[in-house]
Amino acid sequence: MQIRVKCECGESSCREWAIVELQGVVEAQPAFQDRIQDLEIGVLCRSSSQEKYTFTVGYHELSGSKVAIKKPLLVLKKKKLSDSEGLLGSSSNSSKIELEVIGIIRHRILFKTRPRALISRSEPHIKEKVNKASPSVQ
Amino acid sequence: MGRGDGGDEMWRGGAEAVLDLQPNSSISITYDTFFGAPSDLLLLELDDKLLPQILQNRVTIRGEPDEEAVLCTPAVTYALKYVGTSNSVFLIPPSGPSSNVSDPSPVKVASVIKLAPGVMELVEVAPRLDKLKELLAENPYRPEEDSMEELEENDGLRRLRWEDLVERVQASDEELKDALKDNSAVEINGYWRIVDEKYMDMVLNMLLHNLVLNEWSLEGFEEDQVLGIMGSDGFPLKIVLHCLEVYGRRVNLNDELSGGSCLWRLDEKQVCVHFARVILCGGKMKMERFMEEWMDKIPAGMSAGFEMLEGEVLVENIGVETWIWAFRVSSLPSTPAERFAALFQARQKWEWKDLQPYIRDLRVPGLSSESLLLKYTRRTQPTMDAEPVFSAR
Repeated sequence: MQIRVKCECGESSCREWAIVELQGVVEAQPAFQDRIQDLEIGVLCRSSSQEKYTFTVGYHELSGSKVAIKKPLLVLKKKKLSDSEGLLGSSSNSSKIELEVIGIIRHRILFKTRPRALISRSEPHIKEKVNKASPSVQ
Repeated sequence: MGRGDGGDEMWRGGAEAVLDLQPNSSISITYDTFFGAPSDLLLLELDDKLLPQILQNRVTIRGEPDEEAVLCTPAVTYALKYVGTSNSVFLIPPSGPSSNVSDPSPVKVASVIKLAPGVMELVEVAPRLDKLKELLAENPYRPEEDSMEELEENDGLRRLRWEDLVERVQASDEELKDALKDNSAVEINGYWRIVDEKYMDMVLNMLLHNLVLNEWSLEGFEEDQVLGIMGSDGFPLKIVLHCLEVYGRRVNLNDELSGGSCLWRLDEKQVCVHFARVILCGGKMKMERFMEEWMDKIPAGMSAGFEMLEGEVLVENIGVETWIWAFRVSSLPSTPAERFAALFQARQKWEWKDLQPYIRDLRVPGLSSESLLLKYTRRTQPTMDAEPVFSAR
């Protein structure tokens, strides 16, 4: 079988996605684990010095930088093309699949250090609902 | 905002705001409302030089469900390797067109749509062509079909159109075309076939017969005339032309000289190898008898040399006798591991001069033939000036 890799965005206008990457796992508090949608993960902050970034997740602060990716990453989306001749009753894998290029990634904000604990701050939750949390980090 | 099913624009996005974050500013990173929903996103790492091929829609992924998928550009085949990561890779899409364009305030939130568990990487590989050989061998073209007007579609035999081949064989278009040529396949009525060897032998013999009868030169005869004669003998022109392609070469001459008709000459090596194959298809035979029969079959005006049979035959001395049998490199597997296994099954120890014709076609991107030998053979050399001998590892 053959899966076509399709790109409708054309050579110049492939839209760029972003990656925020850190070591390890971000865990939501148990109460939120099943519904993390719309929760804030953290606050990304760029300092005054050029490419230094911090990412504050709950009590922890990570420092990192924006790096160009050596080889670009394409974001592909699997698309099932509906099989109009489905009446033939052939096996399920007869439905055609296409991969569509929906974006390209050329940079990531990478945090590769261990987190620093922000002891001066006291927040009740690691994460809060985004619409409640104020995204201000001084 | 039309949030519901489907379109990417339902994501809040915010990639631009993350990438263009200005010094002394910040942005909140959140899980999107639809976080986790698009399970069908893949990341593909690729070289910048491949980017134009993808953006111009010239790339496909090929393979059956039980095969490791490969990605093919028009000329090259790449294996797709999944590389997982233990990092948390938060994917943030760009803002959709439906995001509030009228809102002049800068975006303060970027939404993560997915945690990417890893990426697909590309590794250039040799095309996987053994399956093509098997597919072609299932249903060779036989003389009986000459008289059939229409193909019987329901005879249970597999038909191979070009579209079927690219669905089934893991090779790029160019590699597939080359492989069809290497396998002496021909497109007949839209289907790719190999022609039964006995039938090819018959056509070649009739061609040689007609060349002698009409006193045409082996070094230059006219396509029109040959097609005319062979056609009146009852051979389909497509098969005669295929025979010319396999055993002959086009001669480049001015159109004025040849009067518009194409000139052909026979390829000495192809013809001689063909007759050796025909003689040896019965099995092992004594060298003297083989040479006698072979020379007998070689058309006048051609001369056969034993070096033509490199990669076609094996020779063994048993006592005072020398025996020869057919062992064709084209019938061996094309992946290195399977190739060496087949070679060492046929013979435990190989001298370099014997081994070389059976491995020189192996092509593994990024691996030299020396490293192939190191990987799959054990090399022994009893003394400094002795010939090295290769055995299985």
